[in-house]
Amino acid sequence: MTTKLHPALIAFTALVFVFLIGPLIIVVGAALSDTTYLTFPPQGLSLRWFENIFAISAFRRTILTSLQIAFLSTFIALLIGIPAAYALNRYRIQLPGWLSTLFVLPILVPELVLGFSLLKNVAVQFNAPIYLSLVVGHSLLVLPYVVRVISASLASFDFSIEEAAISLGSPPLKTFFTILLPNVRSGVIAAFILSFITSINDVSISIFLTGPGISTLPIQILAHMEQFFDPTVASVSVLLMALTVAVMAIVERTLGLTFLAK
Amino acid sequence: MKRFAGWSLASPATLAVVIFLVLPVVATIITTFLTPAGPLAPYIGFFGSGFRRTVLWRTIQVSLITTVIALFIGFITAYVVSRSPGWLKSILIIAAVFPLLTGVVVRSFAWMIILGKNGILNGMLVGTGIIGEPMTMLYTQGAVIVAMVYLFVPLMVLTLVGVLESIPDDLIQASASLGAKPMATFTQVILPLAVPGLIVGAVLVFTGSFTAYATPQLLGGESQMVMGTLMYQQAMVTFDWVSASTIAAIMVVITIAIVLLMTRMAKRLNPMAV
Amino acid sequence: MTQNLSIQNITAHYGSTKVLENLSLEIAEGELVSLLGASGCGKTTTLRLVAGFLEPTSGTIELGGKDLTRLPAHQRNIGLVFQNYALFPHLSVAENVAFGLKQRGISGDAKTKRVTAMLERVGLDHLATRLPGALSGGQKQRVALARALVIEPPLLMFDEPLSNLDAKLRVDMRVEIRKLQQANGTTSVYVTHDQEEAFSISDRVAIMHAGRVMQLDTPEVLYQRPANAFVARFVGFENLIPMSVTARDGAIVTAQMTGGAKLTLSQDDFGPIPDSFILACRADGLAVTDTAGTDGIPTMLGLRTYLGRAYQYQCETAAGPLIANGPLTRPLETGATAKLVPVPEQCTILAPEPAA
Repeated sequence: MTTKLHPALIAFTALVFVFLIGPLIIVVGAALSDTTYLTFPPQGLSLRWFENIFAISAFRRTILTSLQIAFLSTFIALLIGIPAAYALNRYRIQLPGWLSTLFVLPILVPELVLGFSLLKNVAVQFNAPIYLSLVVGHSLLVLPYVVRVISASLASFDFSIEEAAISLGSPPLKTFFTILLPNVRSGVIAAFILSFITSINDVSISIFLTGPGISTLPIQILAHMEQFFDPTVASVSVLLMALTVAVMAIVERTLGLTFLAK
Repeated sequence: MKRFAGWSLASPATLAVVIFLVLPVVATIITTFLTPAGPLAPYIGFFGSGFRRTVLWRTIQVSLITTVIALFIGFITAYVVSRSPGWLKSILIIAAVFPLLTGVVVRSFAWMIILGKNGILNGMLVGTGIIGEPMTMLYTQGAVIVAMVYLFVPLMVLTLVGVLESIPDDLIQASASLGAKPMATFTQVILPLAVPGLIVGAVLVFTGSFTAYATPQLLGGESQMVMGTLMYQQAMVTFDWVSASTIAAIMVVITIAIVLLMTRMAKRLNPMAV
Repeated sequence: MTQNLSIQNITAHYGSTKVLENLSLEIAEGELVSLLGASGCGKTTTLRLVAGFLEPTSGTIELGGKDLTRLPAHQRNIGLVFQNYALFPHLSVAENVAFGLKQRGISGDAKTKRVTAMLERVGLDHLATRLPGALSGGQKQRVALARALVIEPPLLMFDEPLSNLDAKLRVDMRVEIRKLQQANGTTSVYVTHDQEEAFSISDRVAIMHAGRVMQLDTPEVLYQRPANAFVARFVGFENLIPMSVTARDGAIVTAQMTGGAKLTLSQDDFGPIPDSFILACRADGLAVTDTAGTDGIPTMLGLRTYLGRAYQYQCETAAGPLIANGPLTRPLETGATAKLVPVPEQCTILAPEPAA
């Protein structure tokens, strides 16, 4: 803090944060409105639109599907991503350079293109069930986050600790679980959370892979909005925001909020 | 032995990416060259259509404007955040992370409430007598850009806070000790050192905007069609998969080209990497 | 050009922690004074206060009679050399050196001439177009030095400038810094935790501890006649033996230590000896001998280590453990009894420490 900030810069930044948070507050307000149309500030407070979410079976179903897909795809991504991140760091010299580039590809390739290609060349070609296609698509979507976050926490891991454990008689697999995993715990939690949130919120892949009977929550929201522009969507949005708050609370509890700054 | 261990641990993820990402995407691109009408026919068709050229141009325009605005807002905000005292910095970072973790649909929806014909902004403008009649703000290019900026500013801020915090305090003190006024320190030391970060942020925002679907769909609709929404329409409404694949191929090529170009530029401009 | 620095009654806090207490320091024109002490002693804080990166809670800082205390850092005109060089990584060597001149509105030929001349002085003219990332540690420190010197500041300050260099280079660089400083006659403050470095380079050294200056004097005085027990320990007096006088006979004083052992000391060797005092001895200042009948401190010898020029013994005495050196010609065994005889040239008399 050697240079004092110009008041104009501070005012500008304050406005930016109003711009960032304001719209979300408006959504919360709209969700609480007693009216049948979207309005802010809310006119009369009511929770009827939250009840309405659960009254609509499509919302009930898609919330469940979204949670299932998010858990499953995150689990799969962790299962294959952690060993991959480990290999990329531990055996960096033995493995070819393009391998780490390969795991950045899902970020480089537009999600829409991935979603469409999975539909055209996998789902339709092999007549794969919708649910399975969604799990595959979402696993790929979140895999790069897992590999990157775990790699970042492995970068500061001293592999000689692992060698020390092995020299003391610990078998390799046990060493992995007792030495390595506890040391990258924060990375695993962060990867889990990032993946879960990314999957829950995904539109670009799901829009191609959902189909009759099986849909995810964001796609259901889009479909609902095409027909009704009522506060139900606002209250679903509030539910999703509540989920985000819960996730941030978990991060705060387990890793401290400073972790988010990284 | 080590090589084998490395490969066997990496192979499930490698296979997953190759089978479910590389092959399908490559297949999508290849099919565009194998149409009965001739190898380049879909591209001739795409660039021959005035409408599609307009969509491509509009997408580039929206992405560029979004990127420039997000760079400007993001850099100033990140600068202030990085110079804030610890407790305030944590609060501001949380305030930036929260929208980032909130989904695209929710965030775009918020702007529909604000910009709608009966929305808050129109309500305020009519209420205060600034305008007589509600204006059409939704389904304009402006609406798409505002929502896209909203979408990407948090990402830009977080990227740049990291970059600005990695500039050692010593350099700023050295600059002051050599007589540089705060503004000179900003333009001659901080800004040049932040250039690689600005490039990374610009790449993220440009490619994100260029391939966006939900936001232009909700705030731009049919009248403001961009590459993402056009591709979806071709694939899922008119079921013209060759056309959708062509758009996909163009999106992939432009995205990868931008990423390669900018990362190369960032590398060249990064003095720390020497 | 060069000016005197006067620090008067400075108190400074980090948050609620007091880091400097009522510190005063006068540095004459052209003088190089080192601030020497362990980390946390306040030496770097003092430097940052003078540079303008911190504001004192109270007190004033004057340079050449002009009050700097509340002046922003960029208006102080002080040359600073940082521990990790703080070179601008995006600017070439020449551009780094030119940075301060540019801020002063010096451009064109005048700038180029001064930068070139400065780079020649530090022997880096052939690297002018390189970026700092491509330089070695020693070269970087030279650029940092050139960058600070080229603005011809009335005061130069060094913040542990050599601690990132290897031992050999440290010695070369400190000679070079001293030469440049003397050639320009620039008043300088040099912060370091390395005693040898401070003593070799400085006109005077301020030994700091817990936010205070314990003693400010020439290296010779500090080394031979420390003013108090803290400085004595700091400059290597391993043995501090509290004693009280039991008899005086002209210049000859008989004093007794804890446990009853008595020594006769001459005021011709030590100067006036108060009734209660501390005898401070380096290991070389206590000679180990087993010759019978010698006047000295009775001891049983413990562990013997080989120093190359002498043997060192851990000695058990009635007054507690002491460290003493004995000749290579007569190694004595662990468990043997011997006497420790003070060698006046390696000992000094201190006032007793005030009860804590």
